[in-house]
Amino acid sequence: MKKAGKVHKPTTTRKRLLLFVLFGWLLLILGDRVGELELYQGSFVATYALAITSVVLLTGYSGQLSLGQSALMAVGAYAGALSIFNAGWHPVIGLIMSALIAGVFGLILGLVAARLSGPYLAGTTLALAISLPTLANQFPILGAEEGIAFDVGPAPARFGEDFSQYKWFFWISALASLIMVFFIVNLLSSRYGRTFKAVRDNPVAAQLSGINVEQLKVSAFAISSGVAGLSGGLLVMLISGVSPSAFPLSLSFSLLGAAVVTGLYNLKGVILGGLVLVAIPEIADSLVSRIGGSDNLTTVLPGFLVSALLILAVVFTPNGPGHLLKKHH
Amino acid sequence: MIRNKSMKRATLASAIVATSAMVLSIVPAQANSTGVTATSIKLGVSTPLTGSAGLVYGKVPGAMRAYFDYINANGGVNGRKISLVIRDDKYLPTLAATQTTNLILKDKVFALVGALGTATHSKAYTAAALAKNNVPDLFINTGFSGFANKTKYPTTFMVLPTYNMEAKVMAKVIKDNFPGQATFMLAQDDEFGADGVAGFTTAGHKFTATPTLYPQGTMTAARAEGALTALGAVPGKPVLVLFGTTDVTATLLKAAEKLELTKKFTFLAGSVGADANTLLALGVKPTTIDGVISASFLPDAKDLTDPYVKQFIDINTRYNKGITFDNYVLAGMNSAMLTVQALRAAGKNLTRAGLMSAIEAKGSTFASAGLVPLGYSATSRVGYNGYWVSQLNAQGEGKPYGGKLVIYTTDSGAGAVEISTFVRPTMPKNGIPTNS
Repeated sequence: MKKAGKVHKPTTTRKRLLLFVLFGWLLLILGDRVGELELYQGSFVATYALAITSVVLLTGYSGQLSLGQSALMAVGAYAGALSIFNAGWHPVIGLIMSALIAGVFGLILGLVAARLSGPYLAGTTLALAISLPTLANQFPILGAEEGIAFDVGPAPARFGEDFSQYKWFFWISALASLIMVFFIVNLLSSRYGRTFKAVRDNPVAAQLSGINVEQLKVSAFAISSGVAGLSGGLLVMLISGVSPSAFPLSLSFSLLGAAVVTGLYNLKGVILGGLVLVAIPEIADSLVSRIGGSDNLTTVLPGFLVSALLILAVVFTPNGPGHLLKKHH
Repeated sequence: MIRNKSMKRATLASAIVATSAMVLSIVPAQANSTGVTATSIKLGVSTPLTGSAGLVYGKVPGAMRAYFDYINANGGVNGRKISLVIRDDKYLPTLAATQTTNLILKDKVFALVGALGTATHSKAYTAAALAKNNVPDLFINTGFSGFANKTKYPTTFMVLPTYNMEAKVMAKVIKDNFPGQATFMLAQDDEFGADGVAGFTTAGHKFTATPTLYPQGTMTAARAEGALTALGAVPGKPVLVLFGTTDVTATLLKAAEKLELTKKFTFLAGSVGADANTLLALGVKPTTIDGVISASFLPDAKDLTDPYVKQFIDINTRYNKGITFDNYVLAGMNSAMLTVQALRAAGKNLTRAGLMSAIEAKGSTFASAGLVPLGYSATSRVGYNGYWVSQLNAQGEGKPYGGKLVIYTTDSGAGAVEISTFVRPTMPKNGIPTNS
């Protein structure tokens, strides 16, 4: 990823594309060298990284604090599941619908949210995170608590018989996340993206410079929702179906926490954020088994580690490790 | 330029994929006795240990492990000691999917036993590819009738009777004992409540008003008081069917206390929502729970005259230190006892397929604390297929309703509710199965 704000934009985008392709290629190679479990965990890392991207975009870049990201993910997840399960569409269309419907939902929500800020916006989105998944229980088409299947099917036969489901999940989630993050990174380094930051840092000054603050906030909300929707679709693909309890309020908090650890003001650390969410329970698990602790310790330790990491991040790298790297340069 | 480069890379990547596919294809297929050695059998469970569900159901896996420890101390199963890997899923589908996958891929367990929850386990089942890997999925703790579908869940064995069966039995109890009384139903608005409402409909029972369905977590004290105030105006002694979790039953009973309506209704609480210890712990007065009617398939955990209960209490004291014995501990140990019999029935050459065939062939004869028959067969994956009706007293003990134990059996379909003469198998000596 290139530093934002370079003058020769075409070169930057091209170089960025090269970097993304290179990274994708690296993942492809990596995917062949690790076990099934690592592939499955990798899929979650990619999915969470995308969800964190949506938080960073909304909170870090446009200055709107949302606690309802899990609800937006749920909207995307249900939209995708209905497209595949009920409408019988191709999974790719299903995932596109996840992003699209959540984006439209976010647009409507953004129109309301643009009038709110700070704790009011946080409160509204918090209410959304609590109520929206439960609402799904009210409509039989959404399958109540058992939910509906989100089945992308097995990998195409041409990949060979031994191409596992987990590798297929990894390919889909990594590719979808890479494409989406590439799109967002480009957007943020464009003129449009810079106006996001202007509005975040000083809305009055931005307005005086001729920026339509309200419109920008709404579009940031819509785009962020679209990204969250896609990650919601990917998440339920990994667990093979969608149901209200897959999107608890705690997911919103975890994503926000991970976004703070990775740095709210740049996207360089989102993969790290995804890794934190997936790896912490694993680290806790192996720590406990090494020291011979109880099951109880295994359950408590992840929360403790995340909290510790959060405090350390706020103290030592308030702008995220990505920012720290930049400073060392 | 870039396109050329990326095309080259794509070609290279394809070559790598093809090569690795070839390498992988040489690896032999996973043996179907994964998790079994000459001296050990590794089992696993993904279940809530923390969170609100963990508070209620968290004792179940520990109770299973305690029973296995007891069996291990008495020679194990065919010389093999049983270990149980317990993973916390906090009752969240995402975690259930990852934790169950961990059990299969990382812990490499032989079989799963006692997974809990409908939304969680239905996701975990597919995500962890249990069907594809032919992993036995034993004695799951959910009464959702969908799990009995052998095509969708080919390796799953239920243990709880379905909610549908329970509702049908309740309908019969109302018909036989409360003719002419107004009847109302408050049910959780999900597959659990829906299964219950469907059961009453199948049984031909018509409630005085359409059942009230409330989403999980929305039955507040104010809402409960509102609902009971309205029903309090109904003449006679209306029967109130509560088809929800124990915390909701507690909220409703406490609302009745506040409104002084505890004697106005006959409360008929579903088995999921009538754990006396939990009700008392949640602040319901002993005088209020006195008289609450419920359905059960296991004996009451406080019934010290029951040999299974007595034996399990003894095991709990020795192998599950610090844990109070209650209905959940009883249920956990009972499932563990069924598991041990299934492992024995599968023989010395333990395989996943062999284990499942053994339950299909002999499962209905296994000794268990259950007072109703087990329904396993080549075509049925339903465990207990009936209920007995109990009535709580002020001490929180569940005694047979009407003073005499009556066992009802039925199915999840249109079958009638019948009174059964079933007598459960005698408990194996010291609670240690010797079947083969």
